[in-house]
Amino acid sequence: MAYFVQQLINGLTLGSVYGLIAIGYTMVYGIIGMINFAHGEIYMIGAFVSVISLIVLGAAGLTFVPLALVVVLIVTMMFTAAYGWTVERIAYRPLRGSFRLAPLISAIGLSIFLQNYVQLAQGARVKPIPPVVRGGFLLFEENGFTVQASYIQIFIWLLTLVLMVGFAVLIGRTALGRAQRACEQDRTMAALVGVNVDRTISLTFVMGAALAAVAGFIVTLYYGVIDFYIGFLAGLKAFTAAVLGGIGSLPGAMLGGLLIGLIEAFYSAYFSLEYKDVAAFSVLILVLIFRPTGLLGQPEVEKV
Amino acid sequence: MAARLDRARAPDLPGAAKEAFLAAIVAFVLALPIIGLGTYDRGGGRLAVEPRWDWVAIGVAAVFGGRLLMALTRPARRAAGGRRSWVDRAGRALRPIQPYIALAGLLFAFVLPFMPFSNRYVMDIGTQLLIYVMLGWGLNIVVGLAGLLDLGYVAFYAVGAYSYALAAQYLELSFWVALPIAGALAAVFGVLLGFPVLRLRGDYLAIVTLGFGEMIRIVLVNWYPVTNGPDGLSGIPRPSFFGLPFAASAPEGGNSFHTFFGLPYVPEHRVIFLYFLILVLALITNLFTLRIRRLPVGRAWEALREDEIACRSLGINPTTTKLSAFAIGAAFAGFAGSFFATRQGFISPESFTFIESATILAIVVLGGMGSQMGVVIAAVVLVVLPELIREFAEFRMLVFGGAMVLIMIWRPHGLIAFREPTVHLAAWRRARAKP
Amino acid sequence: MTEAMPLLAVERLTMRFGGLVAVGELSFTADSAAITAIIGPNGAGKTTVFNCLTGFYKPTAGRMTLNTAAGPRYLERIDGFRIARLGVARTFQNIRLFPRMSVLENLIVAQHNGLMRASLFSVAGLFGLPRYRRAERAAVALAEHWLERVGLAEQGDIDAGALPYGAQRRLEVARAMCTRPIVLCLDEPAAGLNPRESAELSELLLGIRDGERIGVLLIEHDMSVVMGISDHVVVLDYGRKIADGTATAVRNDPNVVRAYLGEDEISSLAEVAG
Repeated sequence: MAYFVQQLINGLTLGSVYGLIAIGYTMVYGIIGMINFAHGEIYMIGAFVSVISLIVLGAAGLTFVPLALVVVLIVTMMFTAAYGWTVERIAYRPLRGSFRLAPLISAIGLSIFLQNYVQLAQGARVKPIPPVVRGGFLLFEENGFTVQASYIQIFIWLLTLVLMVGFAVLIGRTALGRAQRACEQDRTMAALVGVNVDRTISLTFVMGAALAAVAGFIVTLYYGVIDFYIGFLAGLKAFTAAVLGGIGSLPGAMLGGLLIGLIEAFYSAYFSLEYKDVAAFSVLILVLIFRPTGLLGQPEVEKV
Repeated sequence: MAARLDRARAPDLPGAAKEAFLAAIVAFVLALPIIGLGTYDRGGGRLAVEPRWDWVAIGVAAVFGGRLLMALTRPARRAAGGRRSWVDRAGRALRPIQPYIALAGLLFAFVLPFMPFSNRYVMDIGTQLLIYVMLGWGLNIVVGLAGLLDLGYVAFYAVGAYSYALAAQYLELSFWVALPIAGALAAVFGVLLGFPVLRLRGDYLAIVTLGFGEMIRIVLVNWYPVTNGPDGLSGIPRPSFFGLPFAASAPEGGNSFHTFFGLPYVPEHRVIFLYFLILVLALITNLFTLRIRRLPVGRAWEALREDEIACRSLGINPTTTKLSAFAIGAAFAGFAGSFFATRQGFISPESFTFIESATILAIVVLGGMGSQMGVVIAAVVLVVLPELIREFAEFRMLVFGGAMVLIMIWRPHGLIAFREPTVHLAAWRRARAKP
Repeated sequence: MTEAMPLLAVERLTMRFGGLVAVGELSFTADSAAITAIIGPNGAGKTTVFNCLTGFYKPTAGRMTLNTAAGPRYLERIDGFRIARLGVARTFQNIRLFPRMSVLENLIVAQHNGLMRASLFSVAGLFGLPRYRRAERAAVALAEHWLERVGLAEQGDIDAGALPYGAQRRLEVARAMCTRPIVLCLDEPAAGLNPRESAELSELLLGIRDGERIGVLLIEHDMSVVMGISDHVVVLDYGRKIADGTATAVRNDPNVVRAYLGEDEISSLAEVAG
């Protein structure tokens, strides 16, 4: 029982990371109808910017942890958002009129470019970070196995929750959110009623990138080690999460993320560690075969 | 109209400068963390940051200059360009002699081993190039002809390599017997993989195939009993010349290659044989593709790429059509994989990463989806250029990723974007008119 | 007697998208060697009916019976592309040619199924067997025939995407006819055509009706075409049938006038007429 609860805690934490990245996928898909292939690399860049910022702050002498975390979070979000903006401008916007595979191929190229760019600029070795926050709550003990929820884990849950609420408000209540929903449904009409479609799409990419940045920041704190390749696998699993939850649905993305995180945690704990990625990916296949619209998604009607 | 007006105006320097300045600011923001602050190991696993402002300055200046150039030349480019860009005109001029260029290339490929400058190194590069060309031609069937974005092609390459290795070691099958088996197994994997996912749209298909490629690699790394994990399979039997081994000393009671032909033993014999082997395999791939395009299934692939809904309205079954492209493309990857296994004598999961799939995809995309010649040109650039320019080798994938982006903006259908129709009314009429 | 049986019988066809009823309880029949027009204001559900008939949508309810030579087939249960194999061909509102393939290739692709059978799934072709060459020759001949019928005889080797708009529409009809259908569904074939081109189209369709003697289903807004060549007109409004009869009968039907012009227009017209 204790083991189960611990896996539950770990899975939810991991799931928050996937959920945050998945929201980026789902938002972009909602507004331009395409997958942002470079999104995984955006998350990876977020992680790198977090590491770099932590080192710089440490070297500058800022040791008050809460302040340092806030500063790193904001800095990470800002720089990563710039990357997200650039991805849209380079790989997607120029190709809006082109054949449907063109933006995908372009984004794949950009993804390869970004991976190698970080690898060349920062080195191919893994980057370790000493734990910034230690300790946690001891929940209970059973047969010598202690169940813990570390401070970092709680911090991650709270951060994710705050962001989710903030986003729900942003999408539901603000003009930007309305503009986004309008562009999702009918881009031409939205443009005709005065919505700045280009800016709305750009902002969508930026928001998705900001959330991926938070995910990168979380992973840096939680796992303590990153490398230039983490975007690849995380991107794949977060995409699985987005599809599982229902592509196009924001709550679905977070739900899918949590589920994938739990599946991965439980599979690696109870079955095998080596094949946990295969387990997560198999979920994608099963969903696409049996319920392609996902848990919370809308069925898509083909326009003939 | 607008083009002519633009030409009348002098280049707009202040506007271009502003554009370049804004681009430079963006470049600065992007470069600042990743390029400007490099992390390095200070010792004891602790990281430090070293500022590299010179690199940032170079990068920003390059972006500024490039953007300025783009903005200043835009009116001129618009006036001159459009459909009739210089590449198009060059292509159109070259088209009639394209068969001769192909023939010349083919002849060169055949005589390469016997040229005076040819040595082990040249043969190695040539063989490496031909493997990529064959893989490119194979993927061309899936991506170029059928329009299915397969990002996990390396999985079939791996299946071919591993099944050959296992068949040769445990069943002691010769290369010529194991080769078709490996191809067939790869095709089976293609069907298994394709069946659940081929009704998915383009981008879903791409990500799912990407995932499959990665999953195959994970299985290869972890399934010790069969694949021997990260240690890989070694001792894969080398090919023989139809039964004559390429050994320094002949086996008892028989001949080896050099004794049979009365030649002194030279280790290059095997290398040259392998080179011709892959050349023949690649040519078979090419001939098959050229032939199948003129057959119903090949035309159906291309029609499916153009408009799937129209295909359905003509009674074409999209799922089986896509599956056939997938399976056949997979089979060729399987053949290539077998060759790879026998040439190396040793295979490990490291050779079958996503980078390989991405490389092969880059070859197909850059060369021109559907164009056989384009694949060769792109493969030459990809494989030979890094050898010639050592400094380039490190930046190879970076350049290729960037090139893929640029090609989509500039020439989405690849460098060689011309498509040869598979049937000509004029030709049929002429044939009928003959007595 | 099969003569009395209609080629296509639609009974109580219903298509719902969530809460929206795009087509409600629609029943009508279409005969061979006859042109049946489906008309109605925009949004009346006409293309939805076509999509149901040709298998792109699965209808929510209803039955669609195609009376083929091999017996009745219930289209609501059959997959999209299989309906085309039964002999139901269609064109699209937004032209769907294969733009990067030549005109001739477009027509050869249409004969895919026959060619696949003749070539044993392309294997016979791979080995250059004569049975495939014969089949290909016949396919080109059929394609040429239709190219002549639609007036594109000299444009066989041009890329389909390079043709002018009117020619593309005609090519789509030729392509549909190359599948040797028993029902031809045309979705707004006259859209964007000038009067001369519309007249040529009408002639083409009459030629198909009288020559090939198949059933033609026609969605159209161009009344000159509809009234000129239709044997039978079905009028839809908000997904429901409001009139069904000959062209003349439908034209004078007050329900139809009201649907197109609106209630207020009718009363003000009445006022003006006194």
